[in-house]
Amino acid sequence: MMGLDLLGLAVLGLMIILLMIYLAIGKRQAPIFREIPAFEALKGAIERAVEAGERVHFSLGTGSVIGTDVAPALAGLATLAEIARVTSLSDRPAVVTTGDGAMAILAQDTLRSAYTQAGALDRYRPSAARMLGPTPFSYVASLPSLLSNEDASVHILMGAFGAEGALAADFGERRNCFVMAGTDDVQSQALLYATAAHPLIGEEVFVGGAYLRRDKAHLASLRVQDAMRFILILGILLGAVLGLLGVDL
Amino acid sequence: MRLGSYLLWAAVATATGILVLLGYFVQLDAIPPEGWLQSIFQLRLLLMRWAVLLAGVALFVGLIHLMAVHWSKVSDQARGWGYSAIFLLAFLATLILGLIFGPDSAAVLLFFNYIQMPVETTLSALLAITLALAGFRLLSRRPDLISAIFIGTAFLVLLGSGPGLIPGGSMLDSFFGGLRNWLAQVSAAGGARGILLGVALGSIMTGLRVLLAMDRPYGDE
Repeated sequence: MMGLDLLGLAVLGLMIILLMIYLAIGKRQAPIFREIPAFEALKGAIERAVEAGERVHFSLGTGSVIGTDVAPALAGLATLAEIARVTSLSDRPAVVTTGDGAMAILAQDTLRSAYTQAGALDRYRPSAARMLGPTPFSYVASLPSLLSNEDASVHILMGAFGAEGALAADFGERRNCFVMAGTDDVQSQALLYATAAHPLIGEEVFVGGAYLRRDKAHLASLRVQDAMRFILILGILLGAVLGLLGVDL
Repeated sequence: MRLGSYLLWAAVATATGILVLLGYFVQLDAIPPEGWLQSIFQLRLLLMRWAVLLAGVALFVGLIHLMAVHWSKVSDQARGWGYSAIFLLAFLATLILGLIFGPDSAAVLLFFNYIQMPVETTLSALLAITLALAGFRLLSRRPDLISAIFIGTAFLVLLGSGPGLIPGGSMLDSFFGGLRNWLAQVSAAGGARGILLGVALGSIMTGLRVLLAMDRPYGDE
């Protein structure tokens, strides 16, 4: 049909089919993924923070829910759910901040669900998730006092960040926090690589749910990403070979 | 009852998501001006307008919530309550002036030009210093080959771009300029494309998980 992006729909359909297949296979055959040092170190850092009565600060970035850069924050919410569950029974539960009002509401819902699943709904406080400032730099300007007042020792940045992400990570480093940072923007990833002790590179920002929760859907989606990556690499190689042979695509 | 309401939200979110997503695969001029397809497309536009409106309301809710958090810190005399008091005063002053004189009035622009702008500009300047220091710290924190390449590349790009570092028109200037272009346009662009492919796949799968109600950030009870 004219005006219909059939290739796009086919790729989307293929990804959904692969997701269903890997969900079914995953029950019988657990996948094995490479080790990501940041996530391995994060587990220990959270345990230490809970034992020491210190707080985990989780930042969902300065992106908007209706923006095109919402994906890393949505992946951050999946990671947050697990961290909130683990820290829900500690003296000082995790605190979440964002630069968007709608994202703050999603974070509150995620916290409430995590507390309910942990059987600690009475410990849930809506003020644990809040918007700090509506612009990137007003958000970042609020971080030093928040990290200090909340006694945060773990500072996680998973969401949409621009250049302000480097400052956000550096504020955590100055307080000797465990700093893990990831975003979807390539230039910001380079800045976070320099400023954060535990940077997440490329798609690593999207794998928190699979690595921390071992959730079936997240594990299956990670396998789909790997499969699609191989298909893309084969396509690129095929295109290069055909180009060398003079075939005009 | 709770399970029923959760299923309802999941169904509404999934149906809305699929409707909006499919709109990206269909061109407007391919849809007949009359009929059910056009109605569905108009519904999609309506939903997207609702989303923008709701995001505006959420911003307002977020600001009210932020004010409530700072108000409770002031009333409890919690650590750092003085900053919260300053925030509340500035927030209320800006809000009242904006409501009385309008957002483009001289009174509101005074706050913007003499408080917000200088603070944000200062933070931008601080960013440059922070990055330079982070570069030095990187080698002591992660003394490996990748960090050395990272710092070395940044140094070469600076040599090729920074004005006044190398005399203009000299052979060195031409060499480092060419090297900078090669680094930025060949090696960095190639690497960035590889990273972007991974990010794109991760973004799509994250979206699909929400679309298929596997991830439910809107309540998972």
